[in-house]
Amino acid sequence: MKKAIALILSLGMAFSLAACSGSSDEGSKGSTSSESGSAEVTSEQPAGQPDEVGFVELPIFEDEEAGFMNVNAVYFEPVPMSNGQDNIEDYNLHLECDVSALDNDLGYGLGDWVPYLTVDYEVISDNGQGDVAASGTFMVMSASDGPHYGANIKLEEADTYAVKFTFHNPEENGYLIHLDAKTGPGGTFDEYFADGNLEVYYEGWEYTPQEWN
Amino acid sequence: MLNYFITVTKDLLVASLVLGLLASFISRNFGRTGKRIYVSGIILGLIGSVVMTVFYNATKIIDKTGGTGSWNLRIFSVSTVALVIFLIFAVKPIIKKTKGAGEVIISAAAALLAFSVLFYALPSVLGYPFNFSLGGESYFSTAFIYRMIGYIFGMLLCLLTAISACKCSSKLGEKEAGFILKGVLIINGIHQIAKALQILHAKRIISGSAVFRIIKFTSNNGDLFIYLIIALAFIMPVILIIKGLNVKEPYENPAQKRKIAAKWRNTRRWAVTHILCLVMVVLVFTVFTAIDNREVELSPVEECELRDDALYIPFTQVEDGHLHRFAYETEEGVIVRFIVIKKPNSTSYGVGLDACDICGETGYYERDGQVVCNLCDVVMNINTIGYKGGCNPIVIDYKVENGYIIVPTYTLIEHESEFK
Repeated sequence: MKKAIALILSLGMAFSLAACSGSSDEGSKGSTSSESGSAEVTSEQPAGQPDEVGFVELPIFEDEEAGFMNVNAVYFEPVPMSNGQDNIEDYNLHLECDVSALDNDLGYGLGDWVPYLTVDYEVISDNGQGDVAASGTFMVMSASDGPHYGANIKLEEADTYAVKFTFHNPEENGYLIHLDAKTGPGGTFDEYFADGNLEVYYEGWEYTPQEWN
Repeated sequence: MLNYFITVTKDLLVASLVLGLLASFISRNFGRTGKRIYVSGIILGLIGSVVMTVFYNATKIIDKTGGTGSWNLRIFSVSTVALVIFLIFAVKPIIKKTKGAGEVIISAAAALLAFSVLFYALPSVLGYPFNFSLGGESYFSTAFIYRMIGYIFGMLLCLLTAISACKCSSKLGEKEAGFILKGVLIINGIHQIAKALQILHAKRIISGSAVFRIIKFTSNNGDLFIYLIIALAFIMPVILIIKGLNVKEPYENPAQKRKIAAKWRNTRRWAVTHILCLVMVVLVFTVFTAIDNREVELSPVEECELRDDALYIPFTQVEDGHLHRFAYETEEGVIVRFIVIKKPNSTSYGVGLDACDICGETGYYERDGQVVCNLCDVVMNINTIGYKGGCNPIVIDYKVENGYIIVPTYTLIEHESEFK
């Protein structure tokens, strides 16, 4: 009995400490790290902690690379958005894809957000072996921490999911690159999209629905 | 309406049962001091919930202090410690032995438990009206009023459940009431620990496949805890009704007999009230939820003429101002659907795929003269159908000629992938 009481009290203490500190080695939010001309984009935001503008994002994966892009995925509470997208009753999370440029010859600064992408998403149950639990095309939007690709979705079952992001050529949305030697950055999208769309496929997202409020 | 009735009931049910049962325990065992301490816990919980609601919906304070998950961890910590103290001290020999000090300790633990369940459950409920006015709907719109009615009904059901639980518990024997109360508190405590593990795991503070297996089970079977609590609460009125069938209390005169009969009549009424509340709650969890989640059946695809690689839709078929759905089967065997609706107060038509970039091929349906996305429930502005953006139907090529809307098949084949 005493042991049981001690265990429960310890759990209480552990929750308190976790709630107060919540330290973690993992990162969740892409940001630029370019010391000494290093061409790496890494995540520095501690997982599950409020960022500098003050909202908490929970990590899915960090620093996956697709062509010239560094990709992070996070999720948080469903959010109302402009242009008639303010009904969040039927959703239980906001899935966000942060895309920043790696070292490239397309004119993007290292760590810049990559605009004009069409990004399709699929969330597949049973770690990629089951049904597609959610799919669609991300919308483009801005939060207080900047622009990103994202969507409110509904994912009710706790499961280990695989996440697939498909990136279309920005030229599909009319984004162009200077080709002349004088003003052009030197590269073209064909270098990356010659074989079709780019893809990030991540297995092992251990997800449980969260209570957001 | 149903959505908020269900949501509010689910959010507040456990809190209402805990509050009702604890109230009965305190008033049975303690005097004015204990009651005051317990009521203070409830009042603090109410005030704290209002403050939390304002902070959550109108400021960034909650997120800057760790987010809702961290706040729930704090609440669960306080609640767990209070539960342990309550379970240790709230037994008859200790209550008798410790007297005044025991009254303060146990009442304080009960007050903390009351504060915790309210502070955990109420802020989200108080915050729902912030979402009632969607898409610029007026506060006097039918949709707003329906949501408010569902919201208030949910609150009233939980309030009545709390009162009837308190009444039933107070009419039970001390041991039976104690068993029910502690059972409810322990099940709720275990559920809170499971939820805490989910939060810690999502924040990557804990990990491991064994941990995930446990929280996956508790998350996907969360209603099991609620049903166990409902089952325990259901025992109370059943015992009372059974006892009421076989009353053998001694009386000395007809007045005493009438008094005893009135007491049991009152007991039966509260027992029946509590049963009805719990039955309604179970209906909310099952039947009402199923009704609320049922999918809208899209109107059937209409016939139209196919010639010269185009679909011809006569104005006469679509000029009634309602949503009309058409389809074309590609060589790959994919049915590509599109919609046509005459715009209000206009001679022009809105034409687009029965799918959008965001929600995919889920389709649109007509509700009260409005076009609504079947997945996200966004109400379309009919005048903007045919334009790109948001949850609008994907734009397709078409032309209007000689009283026909003509949709070339190539534009439908182009969007074949949307319907695979």
